[in-house]
Amino acid sequence: MAEKTLDCLGEACPVPLVKTQKAMESMAVGDVLIVNIDHSCAMKNIPDWARSVGHVVEIEEVAEGEWNIIIQKMK
Amino acid sequence: MEKKIEHYDVVVIGGGPGGMTAALYAGRARLKTLLIEKSLIGGMATYTSEIENYPGFPEPIDGIELMKLFDKQFRRFGVDGKLTDVQSVSVECNTKIVSTFRTDYHAKAVIIATGNKPRLTGAKNEERFLNDKGISFCATCDAARNTGKRIMVIGSGDTAIEEGMFLTKFAREVLVSVIHNEGIMDANKVAQEKALANPKMKFIWNTVVESFEGDDMLKQVVLKNIKTGELMPYDVDTCFLFIGYVPNTKIFEGLVEMTNRGYIKTNENMETSREGFYAVGDCRDKTLRQVATAVGDGAIAGFMVEKYVEELEYLQKEIFEANGLIMAFIYNAVEAVDREYLARIEQIQKLYSEKVQLRRIDIYKSDRIACKLSYTKTPSLIFMKNGNILENITDLSNLDAKVAEAVKQYS
Repeated sequence: MAEKTLDCLGEACPVPLVKTQKAMESMAVGDVLIVNIDHSCAMKNIPDWARSVGHVVEIEEVAEGEWNIIIQKMK
Repeated sequence: MEKKIEHYDVVVIGGGPGGMTAALYAGRARLKTLLIEKSLIGGMATYTSEIENYPGFPEPIDGIELMKLFDKQFRRFGVDGKLTDVQSVSVECNTKIVSTFRTDYHAKAVIIATGNKPRLTGAKNEERFLNDKGISFCATCDAARNTGKRIMVIGSGDTAIEEGMFLTKFAREVLVSVIHNEGIMDANKVAQEKALANPKMKFIWNTVVESFEGDDMLKQVVLKNIKTGELMPYDVDTCFLFIGYVPNTKIFEGLVEMTNRGYIKTNENMETSREGFYAVGDCRDKTLRQVATAVGDGAIAGFMVEKYVEELEYLQKEIFEANGLIMAFIYNAVEAVDREYLARIEQIQKLYSEKVQLRRIDIYKSDRIACKLSYTKTPSLIFMKNGNILENITDLSNLDAKVAEAVKQYS
């Protein structure tokens, strides 16, 4: 089970989502991607997208207005 | 991976204004409270560019900014927050179980504040352009990237018209597809007048979406005139859907009663059809869905949950788990006759203080505890031992003899 971090701090939508989608392509089932974001709009579209394609998503607020989106690839 | 189990008094599902207010009240009542939100705290309110009708903010405030203030406030009261989605909710012997991927949260009470999600048109190819491929539900999220672009808004309600006007600050042209006849919109009059006077807004009446076209990204929306059947293609960069909402209540189907549209039915105390489950905000069956009404719902549910947990604990500790013989006197404190019997029963109990304990259960504010003891009337006297009901005395004549008899028989 590999773990990979994707730094999207300072990036506005839809860049974090596009980068996340790309990064997930190269990962294996069971792998975990951690996306660092600070743009609140990415808090909506990244979890929405990841859940809609069947992955598991949890989010941690690491500082005010800064989050880690943790995505586990399920298929 | 083994699932963790955590215990809470109250779990609030959904971090919009209703859920946050409920959590604030519960936390302030010193209940151990958890709020679960699946993505961004603030819910649908964060989709609104300017909130003009939430009292206390005389100038319009951005939805995200307002929700940040809510967030800050409820966290002051020791509420835990968790950003994940709830997969299922079940009930096992009085414990409510809220399951997420990694953890099962066991709670005494659950507040459902899952809100709404935007309705889709159901037109051809719609699925292909969701998730940032050109169909959007959030003007604040996607306004900046549409600077100088031509965009379309579907709908004519408050959200469609107000967010459409907000988008004219960025876009070159905002096309608005309205299902009604020319000049008819569902939005409030003030918004309608402003929109009609806005040179960047162009209305296309009597139309619905026929299909969405493009390759990777949306390029064109084909509208259909519902009177003539004429198809009209429009090249746009983004299409915003503001055609109403559907409740996020799927995981509660079969658990609590809902309307045929999926809104959860509650009474005025926000209690659902299932004990210990409350519903607040947009997911509830009600007339007006606003931040201001969600906050009211949340306050009531937070208060009711405090009472509920208190009663539950009393019932468990003092009645069902108590040692020895218990006699529960069920009465209504506003009835003079009931109060007279209470005085008598207190005196009688003193004679047998070694053998039986008295519990006074007043139904005036709530008869929930009395219901658990299957009471049928007030005043009445229920004998219990080890959590089992032994006898329910409803005829209190010859009270001294009856108590003497029962104590002798059961102790």
